[in-house]
Amino acid sequence: MWFFGRSGEEQKKERIPSGRMLPKEAGRGSGRLSNEVDFWRGFALIIIFINHVPGIWFENYTPRNIGMSDSAELFVFLAGFSLRYLADSRTENLTPVRLFMRLEGRAFTLYTAHILITVLALAMLAGAALWFETSLLLEWHNARAFFQDTVATIIGIALLSHHLGYFDILPLYIVLLTASPFVVLLYRFSPALLLAISIAIWTVTLTFAFNIPTWPVENRWFFNPLAWQLCFVTGFLLAKPVGPGRWARDNLLWLRLAAVPILIAGLIIKMSDAYWPNPLNVPWPEMFFVANKTFLTPMRLVHMLALAAMITGVFAFAYRFAFFRPLGDYFCLLGRNSLNVFCAGSVLSLSGQIVRFAAPGSFLTDLGVLLAGIVVMSAIAWANEWRTRL
Amino acid sequence: MGKRVAYPSVTRTIRIACLASVLGVLTLGHAANAQEPGGQPSEQPGQQAPQGNTPPLVIEPIVPPLPNSAIIMSVQCAVPVSHIAAPAPLARMAEQLEKKQQLRILAIGSSSTWGVGASGYKRNYPSQLERILEKNWKGLDVEIINRGVSGELAAATARRLIDEAALVRPDLVLWQLGTNDALARIPAADFALTVRKTVRMLRQKNMDVVLVGLQYTPRYARDDHYVAIRNILKEIATQEGLLYVRRYQAMEVIARNKANQQMMAEDNFHLNDLGYQCMAEHVAQAVIGSLFLRKPRTPPRSGPRT
Repeated sequence: MWFFGRSGEEQKKERIPSGRMLPKEAGRGSGRLSNEVDFWRGFALIIIFINHVPGIWFENYTPRNIGMSDSAELFVFLAGFSLRYLADSRTENLTPVRLFMRLEGRAFTLYTAHILITVLALAMLAGAALWFETSLLLEWHNARAFFQDTVATIIGIALLSHHLGYFDILPLYIVLLTASPFVVLLYRFSPALLLAISIAIWTVTLTFAFNIPTWPVENRWFFNPLAWQLCFVTGFLLAKPVGPGRWARDNLLWLRLAAVPILIAGLIIKMSDAYWPNPLNVPWPEMFFVANKTFLTPMRLVHMLALAAMITGVFAFAYRFAFFRPLGDYFCLLGRNSLNVFCAGSVLSLSGQIVRFAAPGSFLTDLGVLLAGIVVMSAIAWANEWRTRL
Repeated sequence: MGKRVAYPSVTRTIRIACLASVLGVLTLGHAANAQEPGGQPSEQPGQQAPQGNTPPLVIEPIVPPLPNSAIIMSVQCAVPVSHIAAPAPLARMAEQLEKKQQLRILAIGSSSTWGVGASGYKRNYPSQLERILEKNWKGLDVEIINRGVSGELAAATARRLIDEAALVRPDLVLWQLGTNDALARIPAADFALTVRKTVRMLRQKNMDVVLVGLQYTPRYARDDHYVAIRNILKEIATQEGLLYVRRYQAMEVIARNKANQQMMAEDNFHLNDLGYQCMAEHVAQAVIGSLFLRKPRTPPRSGPRT
């Protein structure tokens, strides 16, 4: 199963079966770049797992503590990268019809995965509520709606209009993938037009703070697809050294120089409360001046791009050194199997929350949660590749 | 915590009627202008007395036609007005009502705002409040935006509140808070700091804020921290001049007078539909009682009024 990445067949063509790349292969164009994507995606998966166990000691040391953006941006950005590889693939020869079938099929796979982990999460909360004999657990993460008003909420879950807390990123991906054939077709027609439309939708969305309502619980989507599509399209356009991607690669040094003050400013804003923009005190349209995750505000997007400019190439550089390879290969393994690992990570972080509820306030608990999570996610990634080789 | 007095039913009715008539006089006779109760259940005919007692309308109303405040509360939820809230000015809301027949309210808080224990989403307190206000205030378009998240502590709500207030730009914020902080043993001083800071930010932006207090539960009647959080809320409301709905006290009065009346959900902690109805009626009573507070402004504005 592939998250946003290329198909299994395509993978096999680019990689030796074990999934490990030989050093000489690491230096090759498309192979290196794609593996860099897998590496950072694997990295983001681990970070998302940690960030989704609120209160865990390690959450103080994840990248979100050094700036406005977090792993969610990186993940969606890389999803755009992967779509570009598929769209440009010569071997695939994707006509509009095939493109449509491929991507909508993948969106449906994501949908089934989302429904599966949502059901698992509800069952885990119900089980924990019975085990610890407290109905408090049934209230966690917006789950109460399901247990209290099952008739309406099950419809909401099926229609993606009811999300459990921390289980709200897959609905965004599903929407983005459902729209992705149009992104590709628009790109083939005119890359400039794709960027213009994407920015226009994002601008209008932020200006009027428009968001998709949820039902039956009265709220709005946590990840607003109308805003986040820009992150996806940006990744799509920067993935290959053509057009904006060419320009970015040619001017990487300048971009990095520009990124330094942005990253320092991000660090200062994050560290001191005083500079954090207060949504009540900024002029209209507010969303352009604050750091809001739901609306992927300019601050967060620019910070993510600055971070991306800094970290690009780090993988290829580090991979030359033998000591880095096991770690690099490990993150790539996770990244290649990102849908399975992401789903496992979501369920594991909820398990971690329940464990921390049962045995609170101990560093050892936190360490155990982290290690168990990493071991299970690795085992699932490994088993998924091993299975396909059978 | 106030006095805990058990009111026999007849005495209570008379007291409510008296309070209502005093309120009626205070409001310079808006009640005379009030529409018929319509479909409103009028189990307490005595409460409608002020309509007859009020002097003829001579002064330009400071707010559009107001309902007879006494009919806000149904017989199951009736509590002496003084037990619900001490009125405090709601300048922004009154101003909005003068300008247009539209009101945007942001209801934020935890499970009591979300509606844990209610039979459906239309039964939580913000939904019921919206209906009460629209029913009693003909022609008024009330939009209540519910942003309740169950189990949330005030500090987390405060962060969301600032974001939501910036997006929604409400005339009035109903912030239900305190229960989870009391149960989570958040130090009262930290809690107070969060509330004060947030409330000041909102009021600086010309938004009215109403604090809706803690859930009544006999289980925590003698819990020191529960009492401490309640006390600090009251103190904040007094110091900041905020309208504070003493939910605990109001519900306690009902629980003591009507022992057979089931207002709790099966978990015996959250409210049921009737409990939420009472909560909505009490908030409505507190808000409308505070609107009466405003001194008439001179000269009266001209222009069409509905």
